[in-house]
Amino acid sequence: MSALARNNVNVHGNPAGRPMVFAHGFGCDQNMWRYVWPAFEADLRIVLFDHVGAGGSDIAAFQPDRYASLRGYADDVVEIARELDLRDIVFVGHSVSAMVGVLAATAEPDRFGSLVLIGPSPRYIDDEDYVGGFTEEDIEGLLDSMDANYLGWSSAMAPVIMGNADRPELGEELTNSFCRSDPEIARQFARVTFLSDNRADLAGVRTPALVLQCSDDPIAPEAVGRYVAGRLPESSFVQLEATGHCPNLSAPQETIAAIRAFVGA
Amino acid sequence: MTQDEEVLAESAEDLFEDAPCGYLTCAVDGTILRVNRTFEQWTGHDRAMLLGRRFRDLLAPAGRIYHETHYVPLLEMQGAVREIALDIVRADGTRLPALINSVRQPDDSGRPRVVRTTVFDATDRREYERDLMRARRREQEIAETLQRSLLSGIAPLSADLCVEILYRPAQAGHEVGGDWHDAFWLDDERTAGLVVGDVVGRGLEAAAVMGQLRSAVRALASTGLEPGPLLDALDRFVARHRVGRMTTVAYAQLDVSTGELLYACAGHPPPVLLAPGRRPGFLWEGRSVPLDSVALGGPRRQATAQLAGGGTLMLYTDALVERREQSLDVGFEHLLTAIDRHSGEDIASMLTSVVRAMNDDHSDDLCLLAAHRRS
Repeated sequence: MSALARNNVNVHGNPAGRPMVFAHGFGCDQNMWRYVWPAFEADLRIVLFDHVGAGGSDIAAFQPDRYASLRGYADDVVEIARELDLRDIVFVGHSVSAMVGVLAATAEPDRFGSLVLIGPSPRYIDDEDYVGGFTEEDIEGLLDSMDANYLGWSSAMAPVIMGNADRPELGEELTNSFCRSDPEIARQFARVTFLSDNRADLAGVRTPALVLQCSDDPIAPEAVGRYVAGRLPESSFVQLEATGHCPNLSAPQETIAAIRAFVGA
Repeated sequence: MTQDEEVLAESAEDLFEDAPCGYLTCAVDGTILRVNRTFEQWTGHDRAMLLGRRFRDLLAPAGRIYHETHYVPLLEMQGAVREIALDIVRADGTRLPALINSVRQPDDSGRPRVVRTTVFDATDRREYERDLMRARRREQEIAETLQRSLLSGIAPLSADLCVEILYRPAQAGHEVGGDWHDAFWLDDERTAGLVVGDVVGRGLEAAAVMGQLRSAVRALASTGLEPGPLLDALDRFVARHRVGRMTTVAYAQLDVSTGELLYACAGHPPPVLLAPGRRPGFLWEGRSVPLDSVALGGPRRQATAQLAGGGTLMLYTDALVERREQSLDVGFEHLLTAIDRHSGEDIASMLTSVVRAMNDDHSDDLCLLAAHRRS
């Protein structure tokens, strides 16, 4: 099957422009870039996709062994890049997809020009003198949390859309896809995301990278962001004023400005 | 003042403070600006300690991840979230299983000003849901165990015959299906009975039905019935005992010394015959409808074929050829191509290669049986 269909790839913007690939993190789908990508569409070729199991991806394409590590997700990114023959990619990865980008750029460095890593963490679990912020028990608890919410949502993924009078078009689309994922696949993705250790992969990255660090991020704390920037051979570190883990949603303008300054677009 | 009037005179303040749910008003970044008395009482945190803290700081680490990866994006994108299950950590360290609803309150210009949240105590509900999940997982395990034990048995093997089975259950998260396979000697190790069948439905019930039909075929085969009459008898068994309606099954008898093959298919995909040096082909004869489906005008058909020395007969279930996005004809054509391409391999690896080439989606059980007549 084509990676473009499998990963629900959507291409916008300037067909002749430099490609900018957006990769969403655990818990959501490509909709979470909707406040960010339009800022770049005049100049760049925008590529959006869903990881297998999320959003509009082909759930039947999920193979437990392929996606048993982040490498499977990175292979998908490389396959998308090959099918669209993308070169000099600006890869923008949020949360776990920051490491997906690290792996993809290491596997096929010639296709990647810049990495923008938003809230990256190479390892979420504490380890000796490394502080990732979580324990393995925390992650087991997360799986319970997902089970509890799966039950709550199984018949009720029909959120009332409020406070969006200015964006009425959001309603239907969100009801159908946003944050929806196959529960079994989501469980495995949670495990792979939060139990992976990609610290050793950072040193092998040849692509220049920007680390965008939120203030007060409970998932990827500042020390972790600085760790990532410190281990990447060529990196810059930008501290955002935005709080939380999703500046692309909560502070899109600040996020856009930081990306712009880095890639000069 | 009458009692009714007293109720109506209840102040908005009382309604807020002593509502039967917790109330929180937070800044857009989650900083708690206001809480009601119910929330204080349920959590054991007092107001002075809550104000100025972030809502997420009241959650256990796992809940914090869920909050940040699901609740926050949903709230940002939708302006509201409903029925998110989170555990709030009480002052004494115990957990309050809660259901959270939140609405972002915009100011006059439409920009989000505050987030209003109601918190419901979901202790009993959560316990009940856990029971449901446990029951569901347990049923899945029982069905898998049952299916495995029902499919046990030793395939016949002789100097002239080699039988290989490939059975691939549906991936985790899907219920077990009702596919079965069987291979046994009929008499003096000269004639082998070969079966692949597919019961309608999934789960525990389909597995149990499969077990009954598998035994019934074995019992009927031991009476010496040929494939067509055997399927007629199986039809009567299904109708009389109301078990396994619409099951499809392929049954073949192979004389391993002469290569003579007698076969019949009740609604089942056609067997594939692979003779050395020739392109594989389907055995399209000996066909009839699925078991106990429509009244038949006469006995079920059977047909004969010849399995040359060094040749292979393959039975399989429809999951091998059925794909959502393509017609069955395309699936059949792909199957012949795949078998042709891998016909040089030994039988076990040929089955593996064929399944890989058919690129199945793991959503259904898959069963292949290959009987190879040594040359």
